[in-house]
Amino acid sequence: MIITMSVDASNKEIERVIEKVKGFGYNTKLFQGEKKTVIHVWGVTDKERLMKRIEPLPGVEKLIPILHPFKLASREFHPEDTVVSIDGRSIGEKEITVIAGPCAVESEENLLEIAAIIKEAGAKFLRGGVFKPRTSPYSFQGLGEKGLEILARARERTGLLIVTEVLSEIDVPLVSQYVDIFQIGTRNMQNFPLLKTVGRFKNPVLLKRGMSATMEEWLMSAEYILSEGNPNVILCERGIRTFEKYTRNTLDISAVPVINHFSHLPLFIDPSHAAGDWRYVSALAKAGIAAGADGLLLEVHTDPTVALSDGKQSLKPKNFNQLMKEIKKIAEATGRTV
Amino acid sequence: MLVVMHRDATQDQIDEVCKFIKEMGLSSHPIPGTQRVAIGITGNKEMVDTNRIEGFDGVINLIHVTQPYKLTSREMKPESTVINVGDVKVGGKDIVVIAGPCAVESREQTTEIAKAISTMGANMLRGGAFKPRTSPYSFQGLGEEGLKILVEAREKTGLPIVSEALDTDNFDLVEKYVDVIQIGARNMQNFSLLRKAGQSKKPVLLKRGMSATIKEFVLAAEYIMSERNYNVILCERGIRTFSDHTRFTLDISSIPELRRITHLPIIVDPSHASGRRDMVLPLSRAAIAAGADGIIVEVHPDPAKALSDGPQSLTIEMFEKLMQKLEIIAKSIERNIQ
Repeated sequence: MIITMSVDASNKEIERVIEKVKGFGYNTKLFQGEKKTVIHVWGVTDKERLMKRIEPLPGVEKLIPILHPFKLASREFHPEDTVVSIDGRSIGEKEITVIAGPCAVESEENLLEIAAIIKEAGAKFLRGGVFKPRTSPYSFQGLGEKGLEILARARERTGLLIVTEVLSEIDVPLVSQYVDIFQIGTRNMQNFPLLKTVGRFKNPVLLKRGMSATMEEWLMSAEYILSEGNPNVILCERGIRTFEKYTRNTLDISAVPVINHFSHLPLFIDPSHAAGDWRYVSALAKAGIAAGADGLLLEVHTDPTVALSDGKQSLKPKNFNQLMKEIKKIAEATGRTV
Repeated sequence: MLVVMHRDATQDQIDEVCKFIKEMGLSSHPIPGTQRVAIGITGNKEMVDTNRIEGFDGVINLIHVTQPYKLTSREMKPESTVINVGDVKVGGKDIVVIAGPCAVESREQTTEIAKAISTMGANMLRGGAFKPRTSPYSFQGLGEEGLKILVEAREKTGLPIVSEALDTDNFDLVEKYVDVIQIGARNMQNFSLLRKAGQSKKPVLLKRGMSATIKEFVLAAEYIMSERNYNVILCERGIRTFSDHTRFTLDISSIPELRRITHLPIIVDPSHASGRRDMVLPLSRAAIAAGADGIIVEVHPDPAKALSDGPQSLTIEMFEKLMQKLEIIAKSIERNIQ
């Protein structure tokens, strides 16, 4: 719900409205514009009762209900694009952000080598999994805390900011000490305790779409994080499950214009997981940027044949460099930069 | 099986091989390349006895085609196929834009659209005269009258025309008037219609069935080619998934996949894929960035009054803007709009 106050509403009147809303147990946030003051209300369970009580109060101009079940994530609530700022870098602005790195952190030497390569090619963020959600319990599960230390050293050496997946709410405080951005994986998109936990931390959250989640379910998951007070959510489309088996998943390219329409949050594309095959990564990455995505999440490995996970979809450094050059041209053609 | 002929092989030598293949009860398909001719053999249930063919003059090599699709495959014909429709080249360096109303509604409507899109740089005019509508009570198209209107529009603008043939009964009629025969998504596995189209001399635009795998799609093209019509344009138009924010889900990864396995031109239909006009621009950009050879889009001067598919039709002003944007994206990957 959005409450707009009339131009001549006094501070006292504004305070009274907020007090009344809080009396219902709902959350509020005050936005003071040059002329008008707007109060955002979320967590509303009884819309009619709230409207009946608030509408007659002095200074209230009108109440606008948000039509979508996602409120904080919706463009109605927040018409301008959200820009996530972290350590002097911005995500969701004119510049396209590239996050690249290995699927899993395997060793310090290997990670530093990849980090140097992607930095040279223009990436600003390094990805690498240390807690790995593998389909089989017998597959390599990641290096855990040791991997986090390696990631932290890679940041010191290269200045790249670090993105890594957090698998369980128990690990959140630990991971928070080491990395810059939390990733919530596709299998955890509706792990609500985890969403709530990362919502209480300051680190931005890269939220992957569940492989069979509708747009609305995805935005509701973002809402879980936002509603806990963390405004920095980055959405990431990574392919959905369809009958088509030529690719690992089917990249839902239309998610880009749809999310841009309904939400103000930045949107990334993960062509590596969508395709599951490095040969298609370049075409999908270019399509993502052409459709209006704010960034890319790419898997890069110096020797994909010996990678401990997802080797088939990892780009070699040579192909990654080539892709960065091509993306630059596409970005310019859509009025953006890399 | 592919018979590779020597680069100096004479026409007589090629004819001799073809004659022998025919005597074996199989079909031969000479495929001219820039350097040499290859002859595709289809119709064999088992491996072809290679010894007997190897003995012919001019034959240098025999290659087994491992895929179930033969004439469509890049194994058989490594060079991309370019299809000439009047002066328009589909599948060449430059990108083709086919535009027009979903259905031919009247002479005025069709002429107005044709003139407008022609001045804006479209290469072909589309328009349905026989419409495959979900409900038998919806507008079914103007039939032959509609085809005559399309021909008049061609005379006025010079644009080649594309229209759908719905069944074997009306096939000859459609073929008589149009330049490219469209086979719609619902008919992708109408095998008698595919065979009929294979006997035509006119190019065929084959749409992907809404739940067809890539393999099924390519095998449908194989049906047409096995009847000796080698001019097939493939069209990705979205597949059925659980994701309900768009009419279908555009399978953008089909572009690099089809590019790899077949030599046929690939175009994309963002109008049917999304069902929403505000998504036509981003999806068209994505398609071109991913490497499609063209797009087919719906345009209507007054979409609100369109007899079918109004919500996905661009207005003429939107089409003009689309053309300007596509020119820029095409240039970024070193292509042009024809």
